[in-house]
Amino acid sequence: MLPEFFEFYNPTKVVYEDGVATDLKPELDIIGIQKYFIVSDHIINDLGLVDKVADGLAEAGFEVTGKYLDVSQDARLNDVQTCADLIKSSGAEGIISIGGGSVIDTAKASNILFSEGGDLVEDYSGAHTLTHPLKPHVVIPTTAGTGSEVTMVAVIYDEENKEKLAFVDKFLLPNLAVLDPQMTFSLPPKMTAATGMDALTHAIEAYVGTQASPISDAFAVGAIELVVKHLVNATKNGEDVEARGGQLIAATMAGIAFSHSMVGCIHGMAHATGGLYRVPHGVANGIFLPFGMEYNFEEIKEKLARLAQIMGEDISGLSEEEAARLAIAAVRKLSGQLNELDALPLRLRDVGVPEDGLEAIAEGALNDGTSFYNPREMDEEELLPFIQKAY
Amino acid sequence: MAMFKTAEEFEKVIGGFFNLVADTPLIADKLLKSKMVIRFKYSDPDLAIVIDCSGDKAEVRPQDTETKALVEMSMSSDIAHRFWFGMVNLTKALTRKEMIAKGPIPKVLKLLPAIKPAYAMYPKYLDENGFEQYNITKAYKPPTA
Repeated sequence: MLPEFFEFYNPTKVVYEDGVATDLKPELDIIGIQKYFIVSDHIINDLGLVDKVADGLAEAGFEVTGKYLDVSQDARLNDVQTCADLIKSSGAEGIISIGGGSVIDTAKASNILFSEGGDLVEDYSGAHTLTHPLKPHVVIPTTAGTGSEVTMVAVIYDEENKEKLAFVDKFLLPNLAVLDPQMTFSLPPKMTAATGMDALTHAIEAYVGTQASPISDAFAVGAIELVVKHLVNATKNGEDVEARGGQLIAATMAGIAFSHSMVGCIHGMAHATGGLYRVPHGVANGIFLPFGMEYNFEEIKEKLARLAQIMGEDISGLSEEEAARLAIAAVRKLSGQLNELDALPLRLRDVGVPEDGLEAIAEGALNDGTSFYNPREMDEEELLPFIQKAY
Repeated sequence: MAMFKTAEEFEKVIGGFFNLVADTPLIADKLLKSKMVIRFKYSDPDLAIVIDCSGDKAEVRPQDTETKALVEMSMSSDIAHRFWFGMVNLTKALTRKEMIAKGPIPKVLKLLPAIKPAYAMYPKYLDENGFEQYNITKAYKPPTA
């Protein structure tokens, strides 16, 4: 059945090539500005990835007006203000962010202040509060998970009030996403697995979500197929160009999918677990994914049955229910393979979550904004047994 | 053409309804738990109403433009009116900028299940308080499942 309404909007240009991050002249010429400010973090810088891009820019005749490398593990409000001030004073005309989700989100939020001025929280937190296009923003992801290079969202942590603020706006969509497998070569196996499971969770939650449309489904399905094909290889061999490329493309496609159809209870549980026990987002998603699918089972059975096929399972002769169960088994098979590589924990007990903390996770998941988009109406008491199983 | 001709009339209708919601424990208890202060900024006609859930009782304050609100929801009076019939797809309204939400959106989304019972209360409230002319449910056919 078709949805009553959906919108699809993604103006971000995507380029993919092994090594393309050092050869961006054709794309940047179209954007039409000369002076870029780089936002990244110290890890990426120490790996030489910032210099690699900056050298390519210089060779092509573009000016790097400055760099901000102090992005925290969570994109933080204070970072954003400092970064925006530096960008402004450097005389830049646009931003290039090189990094994972925190770097990209810091750059997105900094671009609001750089382009519009004002107070980030007072004037812009919320949904679609911007009224003008922002300055050009080019994103070069160094992880393959968040999909932030193609989403209209930035999540920024407010240290003072200890809460995550969401900025949702079409004008936050970057102008250009540069997918270069080489930029992810140095991502360690554990982070490769965790960010890969994050991408898979984006895709699966987008596929079965309440806001899914035929167009978001196409991106979700493409992403799922790529993750199934490439994640284990990318985790085993970080310099496998094909696997790294596949994962980068998967994360981007999953980002496009969930940016339109949202995510549900799996992300809700992961957000709560991350907030309470500092479990990395991708790891928490990887742990909760099969259990969240089970929680939603009755509401999403039909789509899960199709998902089994998408994940390469043979469903001939199976009932819808059996095929749907096979999709969950396929997810477990994948995370099991990653676990065998010592790259992904499978249980909450393995990542420092205390057994008496499970109720707080259920409560946090209910309070998370994603609960609104979950296919099954969320109930704390009904969700808790699934979290207990994940323990 | 807007359904409500004057801010006074809209204030009577929507303000009265908010007071009813604030006096309905099934909904009010959950709103109070949120401790949120929300300002609704309506246009065509222009009206601001604050719902203050920071105390022991939910307070409805029409024309309050001073109180610092955690969340500010801007929309036309027609969208607001249709919303309380349960006829507005929130995602669609936000996407098309028919509603603009400033502040922590997850906290707003979290309240939606709590206010669900209000959708059934609104047409009844209109009929019982002399506002029958604004009850559009008779003409509305919900999409079939």
